[in-house]
Amino acid sequence: MPEATMTANTGAVRTGTQELSLNKAINAALADALEENPRALVLGEDVGRLGGVFRITDGLQERFGAERVFDTPLAESGILGMSVGLAMAGYHPIPEVQFDGFTYPAVNQIVTQIARMNFRTRGALPMPITLRMPSFGGIQSPELHSESLEWLFAHVAGLKVVSPSNPHQAYHLLRHAATMPDPVVFMEPKSRYWQKGSVDFDTPGDLTGSVVAREGRHLTLVAWGAMVSRCLQVADMAAEDGVEVEVLDLRWLKPIDAEGLARSVARTRRAVVVHEAPKSAGLGAEVAQLITEHCFGTLKAPVERVTGFDVPFPSGSLENEYLPNADRILFGIQRVLEYRRG
Amino acid sequence: MAEISFPLPDLGEGLIEATVLEWLVAEGDQVERNQPMVEVETTKSSLELPSPQAGTVVRTHGEPGDTINVGDPLIVFEVPDDTAGIVGTVPKDEAPKRRVRLSANLDDD
Repeated sequence: MPEATMTANTGAVRTGTQELSLNKAINAALADALEENPRALVLGEDVGRLGGVFRITDGLQERFGAERVFDTPLAESGILGMSVGLAMAGYHPIPEVQFDGFTYPAVNQIVTQIARMNFRTRGALPMPITLRMPSFGGIQSPELHSESLEWLFAHVAGLKVVSPSNPHQAYHLLRHAATMPDPVVFMEPKSRYWQKGSVDFDTPGDLTGSVVAREGRHLTLVAWGAMVSRCLQVADMAAEDGVEVEVLDLRWLKPIDAEGLARSVARTRRAVVVHEAPKSAGLGAEVAQLITEHCFGTLKAPVERVTGFDVPFPSGSLENEYLPNADRILFGIQRVLEYRRG
Repeated sequence: MAEISFPLPDLGEGLIEATVLEWLVAEGDQVERNQPMVEVETTKSSLELPSPQAGTVVRTHGEPGDTINVGDPLIVFEVPDDTAGIVGTVPKDEAPKRRVRLSANLDDD
């Protein structure tokens, strides 16, 4: 790709505050990333002419040209293989995998190339790739359109993994990820794409580690992505029963903010971790272990996990039975509250 | 609003074209998913194509008697941005229901 074809910067990035849905916030972040970094490229299935199946890349090809925002064949291994080559050539690719379940054909490129190249070449070939994927369930989609793949990516050394839970975070975490020299898997909570929220473009806040989404003193609910809003609803319910639940939005799933976890649970002395992926060998186990390491002496009960079941992530008609709902999370909280040392 | 173009699919095994017999919808019509949309004839049979989605018809391609190649645009819909190209459904933002109540003695906290 000759450099002369790159579209010149035409305007400044956003400032001020705006009410945006989460998908529009990501669209804004991509536009500003392309604006700011002439080496940034957006590629994927239907991201160009169509503007993405979730309208995430709407208008980007018209604005930045088909050399910087381009459609690829329906082959995820090709999208990510191409991203490896582009990163080697000095670009910052921002590939989209159209649905998280479509990642599986490209696991080879992610695990054997993207995650390792920097390590393999002793830093000579870093992989500044921001891999976006609509993630998790909640939209009643067909099979393999909804997964919860943090269990996979967080275990692959060399990758960073992050998931925003609201529009403000989505904008700033994506801008942040798109400046990092490392490959970042950016897991977008697709069921929250239409959720609106205020985005303060000038004040990103701390973009590292976790954030307390709601303060409480009796128990910490740990969640990420789409489960954060569900846990906030559950915290409202718990409050009706006199239980003050703190909701910790983990955000970064690799590396996990162990200090933030410890800070919260050291105060509440009880924890429940909630995720959509199956329980066995899921990230909830890692979270529970980190809490145990840092807070064993003060814990009032073992850390409880409320998760998807140990079955393949089902298609839409069974999704509500599979995903942690308010009652299952409340049951988890109750088990922790009534635990007594035997 | 967003425009969605629907190309003529392969209506058999390896058919390359179809001839428009009659349009059952017109520009400006609001159509529902699976509503009969157009009658076409292939070398194998004539058949009625259902609409692949709900939306407003913006354009139809081909008059009765015209032949359309598989993969060429057949019809263009206008749909609200929020539903454009979605696989699955936009979740409703409603407060979840609960049956479980918490009971705990938190006096010692």
